[in-house]
Amino acid sequence: MYQNHHQALLPDEDLAYTILADLKRVTREYATGATEANCDNVRQLFTNLLNTTLHLQGDLYRVMKQNNMYSTSSPALKQDIDKQIQQNKQNLQKTQQLVQRITGGQQQQHPPGFANLVTPGQVHQGQLQQPQSPAYYS
Amino acid sequence: MMQPLTGKEVEYIVDSISNEDLLIKQNAVAATTATNPAIRQICQQFQQVHEQNYNTLLNALNAHLPLAPTQPGNQ
Repeated sequence: MYQNHHQALLPDEDLAYTILADLKRVTREYATGATEANCDNVRQLFTNLLNTTLHLQGDLYRVMKQNNMYSTSSPALKQDIDKQIQQNKQNLQKTQQLVQRITGGQQQQHPPGFANLVTPGQVHQGQLQQPQSPAYYS
Repeated sequence: MMQPLTGKEVEYIVDSISNEDLLIKQNAVAATTATNPAIRQICQQFQQVHEQNYNTLLNALNAHLPLAPTQPGNQ
């Protein structure tokens, strides 16, 4: 029976997928740990581990994709994305009107076409703080 | 400044240690039994990272140990 010791019981894609699924779960748990932390050092610990685990998940996903072990969903249609943009622009206008009513117009107003000013590049400009590892943990 | 761990923080850290423990084992199995070399290689690397994570979490418990009260209270 020991001859089969190193023989795969599961296909490669199943082995990899179970790890990928657990990395996704652990990522969420580290995020929860960080948000629930009382001590700054514990928050930093979980933030660092969240970042590490996200990288691992991304790396494994890339290897699985390169080896045809993961099928991505088909691209979203242009008209579907455009519909979402239009709907959400309208929604933003309503929200801005509501905010104005709540604040009585006292708050500084966004320039017209505020939604048009937000580009994906700008969204990513608010970079995350670089993780700092507390020396005594490592 | 380092503060004493709350009960909740200890639970999250201990749960995380269990998660890292499971991932060490899963990666060890995959690194040994997978037929695809790319999977074997990445799982070997991951196993080491999870061992480091395990130690980091354990060190956090150790670092906070001297601050922990010995009597239950509302501190």
